[in-house]
Order: sequence, then C-alpha cells, then structure tokens
Amino acid sequence: MNNEAFAQLVDAHYAPLYRFALSLARNGSDAGDLVQQTFFIWATKGDGIRELSKAKSWLFTTLYREFLRGRRRDSRSSSLEDLPPGEKEPVAEDVDRVSRLDAATVMTALQTVDEAFRAPLTLFYIEDMSYQEIAEALEVPIGTVMSRLSRGKSQLRLALERVESGSSKVLPFPGPKGARAS
Amino acid sequence: MTNEEAKFTLSAFRPNGSDSGDATFCDALRMAGDDPVLGSWFTRSRAHDAAVSDKLRQIAPPPGLKEAILAGARASGPKGRSGRGWGWIAGLAAAAALAIGVFSMKAPVRPGVATTAYASFAINDMVSEKHGGRGDPAGALVARLQTTGARMPGADQIDFEKMRDTGCRTLNFQGHQVLEVCFVRDGSLFHLYMAPRDGAQGAAPAQGPSFVTLAAGAAAIWSDSRFDYAVASTAGVEAIRRLL
Repeated sequence: MNNEAFAQLVDAHYAPLYRFALSLARNGSDAGDLVQQTFFIWATKGDGIRELSKAKSWLFTTLYREFLRGRRRDSRSSSLEDLPPGEKEPVAEDVDRVSRLDAATVMTALQTVDEAFRAPLTLFYIEDMSYQEIAEALEVPIGTVMSRLSRGKSQLRLALERVESGSSKVLPFPGPKGARAS
Repeated sequence: MTNEEAKFTLSAFRPNGSDSGDATFCDALRMAGDDPVLGSWFTRSRAHDAAVSDKLRQIAPPPGLKEAILAGARASGPKGRSGRGWGWIAGLAAAAALAIGVFSMKAPVRPGVATTAYASFAINDMVSEKHGGRGDPAGALVARLQTTGARMPGADQIDFEKMRDTGCRTLNFQGHQVLEVCFVRDGSLFHLYMAPRDGAQGAAPAQGPSFVTLAAGAAAIWSDSRFDYAVASTAGVEAIRRLL
C-alpha cells in the first residue's frame, strides 16, 4: 500500500478507532497508544489484506486484540467472568437524559459498563456496525453479541442515570462472582 | 416468540433502520407493529440508541493523533522494524510530526525518531494529568526526587517489579511496561518514566540525555544499563536540565 492509500485508510478510520479504544481503555493516553499500535501493525503486517472492504473489520479486530493482550498483562484488571446481568428497561426520560448530557459524560458512563458488554456496545453506537459485523470484529458468536448488546444497553442506561443523578462518582458495576457473559 | 424474546432481538436493531431487511428481525418487527406495548418500548429504545450514538460520535480524537500515526508508519514500515534497543518504540514515532525543538546536552544532535517518540509518549501522558507513584517503594523514590539537588535515580535505585507490584502507576508503551512517578522540585511538577530496556541488560551502553520540546511541554530522555528514562514537565527544558 502506498503512502497516499495508507493516509486515506488512516483518515477514514482513526477517529472511530480512537472512540472504540477510548471506551475500552478508559483514558485518552492509552487509547491513542492502541490506535497507533493498530496502524503500526497494519503498516507492518496488514498490508497483505488487499480487500480494503475488509480493512475496517481488520482494524477493529486488531485493536481489540491488542487491548486484550495488554489487559492480560495487567493483573489489576477486572475479570471477564464477573459480569452482572442487565436490568433496566428504556423509558422516555432516558432519551431526554442523554440529550442533556455532553458527549464526554456519555462516554464516561459507557466506560463504566462491563468490558464484555462495552466492546460490542461501542461498535454498535459509534461505528453503526450490524450484529454480524460486531461478531466478526470481536471474534465472538452472533448470539453472544446480541446478548451482550441487550445487557450492555441496560447497564448503560443505569450508568447514565447515575451520572446525571449526581452520584458523580461513576463506579464500575459490581459483579457477582461466577456470573458469566453469554 | 414472546415479547421478551422480541426485545432481546430488537436490541441489536440499529437505530438508523438499516437492519429492516434482515430476516433475523422480521418476526420481532412485526410483533412491535402489532403490540402497542412492545411498539412503544421499541420506539423508546431506538430513540435512546440514536441519542447515545449521536453523543458518542461527537468525541474527537486528540490533536496530532493522525499525524503521529502517519509519521509512525513512515518510520517503521516492514523494513524499518528493529528488535533491539530503542527499536521497540520505533513504531510510535509520535513526535515526529509534532516535535518543535530537539537538542542534546552537549551539542545540537537530533536524537533518533524512537527517542523522540518516547519523549512524546511522556509529554502526552503528562498532560493527561494523571499521577503515579503509589506504594512505599515509589513513595521513597518520590521523597528522594523532591529533595533539592538530588540527582535522577540510577538502575541500582529502582526495583521495577516491587514498585509495579505495590501499586506504582504502570503504563503500556508499545507492549512494554513503563513506571511513572511524579514529584515536585522547586515549585515545579515533573513526571519521571522508567522502562526496562530490552534484552541486553547490563550490556547496553548509557545514552543521552536528549531534550525534546513539544507544544504541551518538554522532556529529557536518557538511558543507563537497565532502563530508558524520560522526565517530562511543563516547566520547560531549563527546569528539567537542572534536575540532571
């Protein structure tokens, strides 16, 4: 891939990749690193992908893998096994709430959603990916994606409610031991 | 299909309606059209999804990220990848597009792009306003650093694993762990970053220091036999130079 094509690829995808990374890593510095690392891998390996239509999925998959790889090194990170169920139905007030909040606050609320739900949720919201595309990007079964979208949205609504209600300190959801993602 | 099952399925329906032709949603959509309660739920759910989506898309990447990606790719294509010394950070080269002034202590020698990338990493992290140095070993190091006239630590004063395992802030830079502590000296705040050098422990030659100035701040980069160091501050190069 020549420089111009690479620049076009970066231009098309770096912003949504950054938003995805920000939701996963929960801080801008690590998110920037993840995006740079993803394009670095593309520059050194991904050039073999000739079908640019698959580049988007490849980039998101690679970023997610890099995030998981980094997280495995971090013993302080939470476990994917600790996943609470989602439990909040959408009400009309929820829509108004989101409209009142600024983008950074909505992102902060999203960052409190459990990681297993957060990744598909972010691709759904930010990149407008279908459930099949999300399954491909995250390398999980379609049924798992649908389940995590459903439960993740419920968690997000609760998180947004907490943010606005002024509990201000948005804490990660407590996870009952033994609960699993499905 | 029950209403709960329909809700489950419709949770994956994108708010822009682009899944309308997907057979997976047919039954659930029909039910939402026939059942006022489910229909109302679906309307609220889509409106909520659209609102969240709109907000999240307003998040902008930090200035310079795109330029850093492009510079990093130019600096580290397939042939440019190195496995030794500074090679592990060559991929970032983040500051290549941002560096304003770079000079060494003794002579105006421009450091390698990877050196600049490490400095950029330190400066960019510094402006995130996060502070490291938790735990007793890190606290002892910070106490030393805050003493006027104290020199920057050497390899023999840093127990990397102990600091990391007792809660010192640990960052990830190109797959390598970097410890960070912050300290105040003569009224200015500094951030010190310590990354174990690859492979040749005890044999790698000392390097630097070199200085990098970006719009957001300045950093000095140097190495000893075991670590690559960066100290960053908004107080300017001269303030950093006085530490060394």
